[in-house]
Amino acid sequence: MTCWNCQSATGAAPFCAACGKLAARPPGATHFDTIGLPRGMDLDVGALERQYRELSLKLHPDRFAHADPRERRLSLEQTTGLNEAYKVLKEPVRRAFYLLKLEGVDLEREDGSSRGSMPLAFLEEVMALRERLEEAREAKDLDAAQAMAGEVLTRQQEALGQAQDALRARLASGGTDADALQRAGLALGRVRYFTRFLEEVAAMEEEALG
Amino acid sequence: MSKNGFLQIHDPLRPKGHAVGIDLGTTNSLVAAVIQGRPRCVPVDEGEALLLPSVVHYATAGGVVVGARAKGLAASHPTDTIVSVKRFMGRSPEDPETRKLGHYRFASDKGKVVRFEVSGGQPVTPIEVSGEILRALKRRAESHFAGKVEQAVITVPAYFDDAQRQATKDAGRLAGLEVLRLINEPTAAALAYGLDKGSQGTFAVYDLGGGTFDISILQLVEGVFQVKSTGGDSALGGDDFDRAIAERVLQVMGQASPTPSLVAETMAAARKTKELLTHESVVELAVGGHTQSVSRADFELWIRPLVQRTGLVCRRALRDAGVEPGQLDGVILVGGSTRVPAVRAYVAELFGREPLGDIDPDQVVALGAAVQADLLTNADRQDEVLLLDVIPLSLGLETMGGVAEKVIPRNSTIPIAAAQVFTTFQEGQNAMDLHVVQGERELVEDCRSLARFRLSGIPPMPPGMARVEVKFQVDADGILSVTAKEQSTGVSQHITVRPSHGLTDEEIEQMLLDSIEHAEDDIQKRQLREQQVDAERVLVDLRKQLATFPDILDAVERARLDAAVERVTQAANGTDGNAVKEALGVLEQASQPLVERVMNQAIAGALKGHSVEEY
Repeated sequence: MTCWNCQSATGAAPFCAACGKLAARPPGATHFDTIGLPRGMDLDVGALERQYRELSLKLHPDRFAHADPRERRLSLEQTTGLNEAYKVLKEPVRRAFYLLKLEGVDLEREDGSSRGSMPLAFLEEVMALRERLEEAREAKDLDAAQAMAGEVLTRQQEALGQAQDALRARLASGGTDADALQRAGLALGRVRYFTRFLEEVAAMEEEALG
Repeated sequence: MSKNGFLQIHDPLRPKGHAVGIDLGTTNSLVAAVIQGRPRCVPVDEGEALLLPSVVHYATAGGVVVGARAKGLAASHPTDTIVSVKRFMGRSPEDPETRKLGHYRFASDKGKVVRFEVSGGQPVTPIEVSGEILRALKRRAESHFAGKVEQAVITVPAYFDDAQRQATKDAGRLAGLEVLRLINEPTAAALAYGLDKGSQGTFAVYDLGGGTFDISILQLVEGVFQVKSTGGDSALGGDDFDRAIAERVLQVMGQASPTPSLVAETMAAARKTKELLTHESVVELAVGGHTQSVSRADFELWIRPLVQRTGLVCRRALRDAGVEPGQLDGVILVGGSTRVPAVRAYVAELFGREPLGDIDPDQVVALGAAVQADLLTNADRQDEVLLLDVIPLSLGLETMGGVAEKVIPRNSTIPIAAAQVFTTFQEGQNAMDLHVVQGERELVEDCRSLARFRLSGIPPMPPGMARVEVKFQVDADGILSVTAKEQSTGVSQHITVRPSHGLTDEEIEQMLLDSIEHAEDDIQKRQLREQQVDAERVLVDLRKQLATFPDILDAVERARLDAAVERVTQAANGTDGNAVKEALGVLEQASQPLVERVMNQAIAGALKGHSVEEY
């Protein structure tokens, strides 16, 4: 890409190295590129927070309140990208899904094409859990729902741990370990079901809260 | 400091004059500016008052009165005097809240916007009424600075939805202000505290104003204010405390269907009672010949359910932020209603610590807004501090079966964007209707409808084949724009969401044109109205004095006075404000002997019965 202002070549950095003007967001930049940290499962959370703050201070639209419309637009785009990157990377569950997506498996896609098939035994177990939750909801038994949530949270963390191990193996192999990728997909598939369950309990708690 | 103290310093970097912060409140509004490095509120009403009552009176003869004068007319002209207009911002006429304060006359036209029927002209929208308040603030700040004020940061409750924000921004435009930024009131309050103290940590801002309640959890680290979560109730505030008292009083009076002016009077008495109960344990409330004693214990019992409602919202905000009450470094109180002792006690109990209160809770929001205005316009301060705000309510789209699908969840840091892909469900379907909603509830009918639009021109395809990507972009003011694009063909539609209950751009433009055309007219009408109000007050006063001291003037003096009174009365019925002013000048002279003698009698009366030694 070339800088809109001085026509020199720009890299992934948010500012043009030559003239210091805000650059357009490079197409294909990952959230890791955006936040300026190496791609990986294990992220230095302190560094993430620091990078996020420092980049926000430079890129935020408040810094360009009096700039011309083009720079204001670029600032909005860059900050939007930065906020999205921060949101995804700071949370271990979202970060794992995102890494899996970078490895070519998108579990979030609506058509479910890359979701793979979950083992039948697991699906049956989830259905049983849901039935119990439904009963608790009808009985307005928040305590029972919260007890189940505690159990499910433990299992979600377990599955997340497995997914993280598999993703580490996949990344260490330089993107060649197909088995690790499959393990990561299955483990995150489980995380997905557990997360949904926890969200439903949270919604129930919220209803109860008023 | 003299009014002209800083006028000599002409700053060439400020071609647009002072950038101010405005707290456009339900009950009172304030304007502040950073002066010599410190935020300060500017006097905006009679008697150098810093609080301008958010009351707008529309006079029969045309013209508009804003502030304390307008407030004084609320009881006698309840339908022509709009109070608490903020509660109507961005609301539809069908909204239950719209009818709750029901003594206004609403225009029953086709529009989707609330319109008040008032004297002296066309029905007015809440945006125009708020615009009058902002215009008054702008003008009074300008006369204080003897310089232009064209840029402002305006605060809104964190819980304001897209429609209410848009309406506030439009009101600013109508008042001739460039709205640099809308910021959330709690965030502004934290900004006022944060910069003064250079503190770090996690803070809760508990903001209970006249009409709205907000709670925000903020984190301040190395100059970056990050809003972690926010919550609130846009229909809960000190006015509800007044109403709680007024309802009981009207009940005791046996008034099942009180007149609008009795309601207004009772509300005023209730407010006064509430304020007195901050320092007293029992207050005698008097209204329309009825008296009733109200104890602080009664009052606390009546408002308890209201105060408890804030607790639910606080717990949710803490939870969204992932913060335990014990992890907070401070609780900041904002809004006049936090003066109520029961509220303070409740907050202390809820958060397990005494709240901070060293900045006046009425001023703190305006002061913070002034800081933000200064940060945005003052190049030297650019690196000092940055505010990262969030959207208060989830944004979504209606999907099959009237279910709301969240596209951007609440408490996402802004600016933010998100996209969702939808498909067609009928053979050859060539258009798709999109319904943008805001809120946390599952069903669309329980959420706030923001906009509807249609993506047309989709080429015929079997069901499920089209891929329509709907992208939401929220800017740094929290205002949403939506783009829909069919990905295989590139057919696209883009709208900046003008909320269904707002005004169209054309309507705003027209109002701006009208206000410019009528500006001259308006000034004259306003002057006339102000003089009429003065005249009314003087005449009432005079009649009272003459009734008390009927023989105080001799025949010649009395004749002169009567002639002057007649002249004022005639001028006040006319259309020339200057004529009223002149007549009042003459009257002042003619009433001089009266004033002097009344004064002497009062002093003599006070001295009577006391020996000189006592003084």
